[in-house]
Amino acid sequence: MYRIAIDVGGTFTDCLVLQESTGEVRQFKAPTTPGDPSIGLMDALKKASAAYELTIESFVAQVGLLIHGTTLATNTLIKKDGATTGMVTTRDFADVIEIRRGYKNVRTSMYNVFVPPYEPLVPRRRRLEVTERSTYEGEIVTDLNEADVRRAAEQLRADGVESVAICFLHSYAAPQNECRAQEIVQEILPDAHVATSHDILPVWREWERFSTTVVSAYVGPVVERYLEALERRLQDNGFDGTLLMMLSDGLVETVDRCRKRAVYLIGSGPAAAPAAAIYAGETAGQSNVLSFDMGGTSIDIGVIMDAEVPTTTENWAGDERVGIKMVDIHSAGAGGGSIAWIDSLGLLRVGPQSAGSDPGPACYGNGGTLPTTTDADVLLGFVDPDYFLGGEITLDRSKAEEAVRVEIAEPLGMTETEGAQAILTAVSSFMADQISEVFTSRGLDVRDIAIVAGGGAGPVHAAFIAERLRVPTVIVPSVAATFSAFGMFAMDIGRNYARSYIASAAEADLGRITDLFQQMEEEAAEGLKDMGAQSGAVEFVRTVAMRYIGQFSEVEVAFPLGEVTNESLDEAVANFHRRHEELYTFEMPWKGTELLTFYLKATVQKARFELREAEEGSSDSSSAQKSIRECIFNGVPAETPVYDGSLLRSGNRFEGPAIVEEPKTTIVVPPAFTCEVDRQHGYVLTSQSDFSNAGAQAGEN
Amino acid sequence: MTRPDETGQDVDPITLSTVWHGMQSIAREMRHVVDRTAQNYLLAQLHDMAAGIWDAQARTIAVPEGPTSMFLSQHFAVEAILEKFGDDLHPGDIIITNDPFKGHCNHLPDWGFIRPVFYEDELVFVLLTRGHQLDTGGSFPGGYFANGYDIHAEGLMIPPIKIYDRGVERSDVLELIWNNVRFPEGVKIDNYALMAGLTVGEKRIHSLLDKYGKQSVLNCVEEMLDRMEANVRATITEIPDGTYFGESATDDDGTTLDEQVWVRCEATIAGDEMTLDFTESDDQRTGFVNCVLASTYSRAVAGSFLFFDPEYSPFHNAGSMRPITLIAPEGSVCNAQYPATVGGSPVNVGTQVLEATVSALSQAMPEKAVAAWGRRRGHYIAALDTRNGQRYTQTTTDADGGAGAVWGFDGFEGAMGMSGLGSIQRGSVEEIEIRYPWRTERYHFTPDLSGAGRWRGGSGMVWEVRNLGGDARIATGSSDGDLTQPPGAAGGDPGPLSRMYIRRGDEIETVRTHRMIEVKTGEVLGKVSGGGGGVGEPFERDPQAVLKDVIDGYVTIEAAERAYGVSIDEAMTIDEDRTKRLRDID
Repeated sequence: MYRIAIDVGGTFTDCLVLQESTGEVRQFKAPTTPGDPSIGLMDALKKASAAYELTIESFVAQVGLLIHGTTLATNTLIKKDGATTGMVTTRDFADVIEIRRGYKNVRTSMYNVFVPPYEPLVPRRRRLEVTERSTYEGEIVTDLNEADVRRAAEQLRADGVESVAICFLHSYAAPQNECRAQEIVQEILPDAHVATSHDILPVWREWERFSTTVVSAYVGPVVERYLEALERRLQDNGFDGTLLMMLSDGLVETVDRCRKRAVYLIGSGPAAAPAAAIYAGETAGQSNVLSFDMGGTSIDIGVIMDAEVPTTTENWAGDERVGIKMVDIHSAGAGGGSIAWIDSLGLLRVGPQSAGSDPGPACYGNGGTLPTTTDADVLLGFVDPDYFLGGEITLDRSKAEEAVRVEIAEPLGMTETEGAQAILTAVSSFMADQISEVFTSRGLDVRDIAIVAGGGAGPVHAAFIAERLRVPTVIVPSVAATFSAFGMFAMDIGRNYARSYIASAAEADLGRITDLFQQMEEEAAEGLKDMGAQSGAVEFVRTVAMRYIGQFSEVEVAFPLGEVTNESLDEAVANFHRRHEELYTFEMPWKGTELLTFYLKATVQKARFELREAEEGSSDSSSAQKSIRECIFNGVPAETPVYDGSLLRSGNRFEGPAIVEEPKTTIVVPPAFTCEVDRQHGYVLTSQSDFSNAGAQAGEN
Repeated sequence: MTRPDETGQDVDPITLSTVWHGMQSIAREMRHVVDRTAQNYLLAQLHDMAAGIWDAQARTIAVPEGPTSMFLSQHFAVEAILEKFGDDLHPGDIIITNDPFKGHCNHLPDWGFIRPVFYEDELVFVLLTRGHQLDTGGSFPGGYFANGYDIHAEGLMIPPIKIYDRGVERSDVLELIWNNVRFPEGVKIDNYALMAGLTVGEKRIHSLLDKYGKQSVLNCVEEMLDRMEANVRATITEIPDGTYFGESATDDDGTTLDEQVWVRCEATIAGDEMTLDFTESDDQRTGFVNCVLASTYSRAVAGSFLFFDPEYSPFHNAGSMRPITLIAPEGSVCNAQYPATVGGSPVNVGTQVLEATVSALSQAMPEKAVAAWGRRRGHYIAALDTRNGQRYTQTTTDADGGAGAVWGFDGFEGAMGMSGLGSIQRGSVEEIEIRYPWRTERYHFTPDLSGAGRWRGGSGMVWEVRNLGGDARIATGSSDGDLTQPPGAAGGDPGPLSRMYIRRGDEIETVRTHRMIEVKTGEVLGKVSGGGGGVGEPFERDPQAVLKDVIDGYVTIEAAERAYGVSIDEAMTIDEDRTKRLRDID
């Protein structure tokens, strides 16, 4: 039997196949087909079946589990080609999604007022109001006017609406009116996709809930159509296994449940990277790691402490606020294709503009004339122009030279090599800054972790970033090139639940908290049966979002399992004080605390898998050395041995400077690092520098 | 590549870029810590605060974004502290001040916390966080009471004094302070939040200095300032030389009723220098609208930044300010002297400084014209929450209208308060209902509440809240715009007038800005706010854009014809001929 993870990205569809009997993993790539991504997905499966010398049907029939991540929902939102969507909402509150708590553009400086105004996904003409009103205590103070709902639905039908978001105030506490409105809308618009705010995100704060619901409605029909096409194609080819979708919260879900909650697919794909990093970290004995996924246009950073996938509810997807719990990935515009340029202040910058795949970096020779990170990598000797992607593409070194000379080196009065070094330094320092800000804003010290590097460009750059951050260890897993897809194998199967109940911790109703957790746990036990889980095998993790009474922001902390008692509540409060101190440098034990939203994460252990162990060798790696070439490290040329990754054996060990070439990726080992091949054919780079002397690197760049 | 040397010459570009971004990220983090931990609406939601890094010469190095009312003038405060304490500053000290005259804040609620940062036994940087406290004592909670006799009637005034001395808290001093404010427990949280921002900032600055060395970092700072100065000078050079004039008024000073107070700005461009002269503004007033010089400076400089290259808008520092000279004579409403009342100045007169500045500069650069935003429609409530028997104070700005238009774009819908330029946040209806005994009954845009123009302003709105708690006394000092309008630019209309009312059953009583009012249990407080001003001639607006606004209900059919000269029928089609005739007549 085979187990498969497929990550449909913007450019490539990555496919990882695990042969369960041997633990062998193989990687395949096919171009993504944006019109109907299920075609590209099938292409990738065909490539795989050919590699195993099977027909597509007999291959697919042997697939027991297929886990699938897709950027479809994210891209639909960013390209704004979702469904014609309408909204039914509480009377006199139709503009919540456009007022959006006063946000201008979240990514633009306040001193830049020359910004086009926000265009809501649902224009005002299709935001229809109905009479109804509830309170935060769950009391319905004005009954739903059903005639209003009918009129609204009929108008939306006349306007050709494919999807409807139903968003009422305080529906997290009183869902009845939304439920009834949904029945009426569905009667009048039987084919429409309908999303209700209490179902999508049953949490207080209307704009965050409404916006999330509208996003779900907007991408919903596109996602539904795709899932339908995908299931059909798989079935047509004899698929009889379980298909699970990878969600933005780092868990996987059945296709049925995704259909109506499409917003949970926003961020699917990159959200899998932390799970891959946790797996690779555990293999190397590290539970605190930085997931560092560097692709063509961006880096995705995830901070992992104690092998826990980090999550947040404070995400924006493009210009839209998405309030569901998502894997906390920080993206920044720096990748292999990022363009280096000199700004109006005379500063060298890299990104966020990217040369993409067309024309791509200058060295691709497709007409690109602007220098990119990859061009610098070629000039510094890290990337062999004749062995890029295992030789699939031949790079043109002279084009890289010209681009760097004209755009960077000459304006800054440098040689080409210095220019390339400056680009590398600029991109490394930008990434290091981003990482350091992510860490410090969470109250953590970056030096306590190991970097796990993935993505096409990650293994080239990770060690340079580690040097700047004074991180002693870099881990490059054997599946670095298909990092996210691998993460999907390593992910838990399960679901997140949330319920708001706002009360002072000192006066909270224990019975009500018990009920909330019980509701969520029953729902979870029922729901996970869809995914084939035995009820006893379900594992629960409870958390609660809390704050000091009066504060406006909350902190999520652990809540004990079992009976809800005064003691368990005290424990949660103690957890909160401690976490507040960690995050913000102070706690206030004299001040009362408040409970806001209760969360339950329900997971089942997926079937275990073991990657095949790499062949063992001695510490001597000389037989894998295929050549020596000149590389530039910190501006200094060095004769650098190049190893053929496929000939390296577990236990091989060598000193930097060195390059390891694998068919799908290149690993750079700078001087002052040693590299050891681990038992799963990953690479562990360890710095030999003494980082304890803080002043030692002063003035270096 | 060259290494930075001892003289500050030839800073290598990569270290420069890293240090520059590092400084900005430290300032952002300081603000983030305050944001996440503060307990009052003004800090945690409006972001009515400043945080940043100054050097040992009190020059502005990095400030994150936030209200224009204070960010760009905190060097006045840093300078005053360096002068007062001289050699008596030590690692672990924290100085507090809220004195508008000795500590250069806008008004008494803006408490500043200042920490000197030492490295290798030398004072290298000064960190400051300053934020609007829930209460500072005085006649009425919140700080926007219109009728104080003098500054002492507005609340507790703290000169620059140490509350931490070499790392030791001066608890008796803090006790004295907290004993003089309402809601001391809440104020205490916010004070610790602001001090936590300093702790985090100092830690990060030290690690930056560890990494790059003191001299290298200081060299970078010189270079950062020089480069911004050069950029701003280059931009000013492109503006045609000449003198341009802008003016704007606030409804009244709350004491002498219905007499408008004017701010007048004469902007002179000469080569690469800009002078903003407020000499023609009204004299200092008895009522609470007076700005101290630091407050005027911050607004005027922020206004001029809007006209510089947006590409470097995130990087402004003291270098950006060097080519700009500000003139405001002592005793002017723009440079008030002790013992003037200043409580209302961030909203009234402060906003007008910003409006008059952009008005003047829009004339110098019509292709970069910027209209003013909808006026503030805030208030402060003091009442009893009958749900729990506790006294409370609440402020809000949720009813404010939208952004002003700019050349090329309509005003941003929903963004509010020109003081914040979109960096501040509105409340959440659900959160406010949980927190306070008021129910929001209406909160939506209403047609024809934006300034017309080729690009129209963001919409105003209708907002109504019902009092479900005890009878409420309300100060409307943080509202403006009943009698005066935010200016449009380049031929665009000003933002419409606003109004405010109390509804008791069928009876409606109009109430006014800068007054005390009472909303009893069960009564409704309502506001209809004007939106932003327009830019460019309204008759030049694309008729299709007008049609879209009519269909979406931002503009009525009548206003489309009257203000824009576009004739639209009930079936939502444009009558081309009639439109042409209407527009030709003009």
